[in-house]
Amino acid sequence: MRTRLVVMLAVCALVVAVAPFVGPPMPPDARDFILWQLRIPRTLMALVVGGTLSLVGAVYQSLFSNPLAAPSTIGTTAGATLGALVAIVLGARTALWGLPLITGAAFAGALGVSLLVAAIAAGRNVRMNDLVLAGIAFSMAAGAISTGVQFSADSAELLTAMRWTMGHLPQVGYQNIVMLLPIAAVSVVGLLTLTRALEVFISGEEHAESQGVNVRAVRMASIGLGALGVAGCVAWCGPIAFVELIVPHIVRRVLGVSRRVLLPCSVVVGASFLVLCDAVARIILPGRETPVGLVTAALGTPLLIYLVARKSS
Amino acid sequence: MTSLLEVSGATVRKGERALLEDVSLRVAPGDFVAVVGPNGAGKTTLMRVALGLQRPDAGRVTVNGRDVGALSPRERAAFLAWLPQRVQVSEPITALEHVAAARYRFKESHRRSEESALVALARVQAEALASRPITELSGGEQQRVAVAALLAQEAPLVLLDEPANFLDPAQQLELYALVGQMWRSGLGVLCITHDINVLAHAMRAGSEGRIRVLGLSKGRVAFESHYDAPDLGEHLGRVFSVRMRGVEVENRRVFVGMSLERGE
Repeated sequence: MRTRLVVMLAVCALVVAVAPFVGPPMPPDARDFILWQLRIPRTLMALVVGGTLSLVGAVYQSLFSNPLAAPSTIGTTAGATLGALVAIVLGARTALWGLPLITGAAFAGALGVSLLVAAIAAGRNVRMNDLVLAGIAFSMAAGAISTGVQFSADSAELLTAMRWTMGHLPQVGYQNIVMLLPIAAVSVVGLLTLTRALEVFISGEEHAESQGVNVRAVRMASIGLGALGVAGCVAWCGPIAFVELIVPHIVRRVLGVSRRVLLPCSVVVGASFLVLCDAVARIILPGRETPVGLVTAALGTPLLIYLVARKSS
Repeated sequence: MTSLLEVSGATVRKGERALLEDVSLRVAPGDFVAVVGPNGAGKTTLMRVALGLQRPDAGRVTVNGRDVGALSPRERAAFLAWLPQRVQVSEPITALEHVAAARYRFKESHRRSEESALVALARVQAEALASRPITELSGGEQQRVAVAALLAQEAPLVLLDEPANFLDPAQQLELYALVGQMWRSGLGVLCITHDINVLAHAMRAGSEGRIRVLGLSKGRVAFESHYDAPDLGEHLGRVFSVRMRGVEVENRRVFVGMSLERGE
């Protein structure tokens, strides 16, 4: 167990250290610029986004006692997409205090829909399944409005929107990372403080309540903090698929289900997983860059199927 | 500090139907209160009300005079612990982790929780199960671990909800022997069951009179008695709609149910 943990952490560190040097060869005169102004900030962004998304996935899976629960379950992704679409149609080039409108709108959309679900979670007699249903309902509503917005968009806007929904790590400077970092930090640190309560959740909500957990408070805090982190990530990068689903499952299979290991390790593994995917995205198609969302799906899906198949055999 | 659980006049309605009507009971440390009744009599509703998981439509539930709904979950967990019918864990955590999680109400380090959990497991002779995933244990072993969790919570009152419902006779005997131990160690026990005979495993000779029996039928208290009361059989028979007679087997009183039609 301890050895596995050490090996896993070592692999993660190695990936992060090597990743910035992976990619098309850098011309000598532009080397410093490419490395320090493009690749390092991209890697940092991937670290922040990957870690946050994975932790939120792990927390939601614990909270809903459902291995398929993800931020999209409670409508976060659909809300972000709606926000981004509206911004694209209104004119994506506008920016407010250096923050692109599309980012701000996606953030607001993601947070708005998730907070609606969190408000429902505050109810006294609400069961976890009700929340999943509420999330699906809000997702469908947001999706329907999005379709309406798309209908009024021209083809250039549609292309931008489609690109956005693929999930990508943008060429950002350090400034955007500095903007995202506090959001992600609040979300990650806040969620990690809930570890102990989520441990008690394993034997059922009512049982947890009888053992002293304030179930409603934990539920709202988890959903709210999770939504905040995911909204931040989605705002800058679009919906990067599968990370939040796959990484907790990998950690669970390798290191066990104990929440004290699962949650913090999801942050670390998720961070390096997205860095790895980003590096792969740079080299997989020579001459152009694949959106990282495609790579996460392509890498993650077979991995997940393998892990499930190995367990059941 | 005495910890007294008092349910007074609790009434729970679901639409027109009364699930619980004007039920009162009290449990203090050292008490053993058995609530018996057929399925659907309102036993589980009573337990949920007593635990503060459900608010009664009328009546009060208090712990030490304070309304149970006004206590924070942590405060309440310091008084009341609950043993459900079966442990339902969603993930294969180890028995040790399950018991350590029951220490949630204490603000203490994880190491400290695990030490206490090991002590609790030892008290139910389940140290050997500590590192096994709880999902791989037998029903009897799982309930043994659940009792350890109950002990680890260190509440003076324990509420048991048909804890032997899914167990075979040997496991039932083992579980109620543990319940008897908890009782003799000074805890107050509120035990819900439709099978009065399991209680025989919890007592030692001479302690029958100290077990209070509360019969529940259609949401109402049908009778209040003691395990050694001569007419307990008749009371039980009425609640369960059978004829019941108490017989002595190896110095233990057990009750046998017979159909109403064939009289003596």
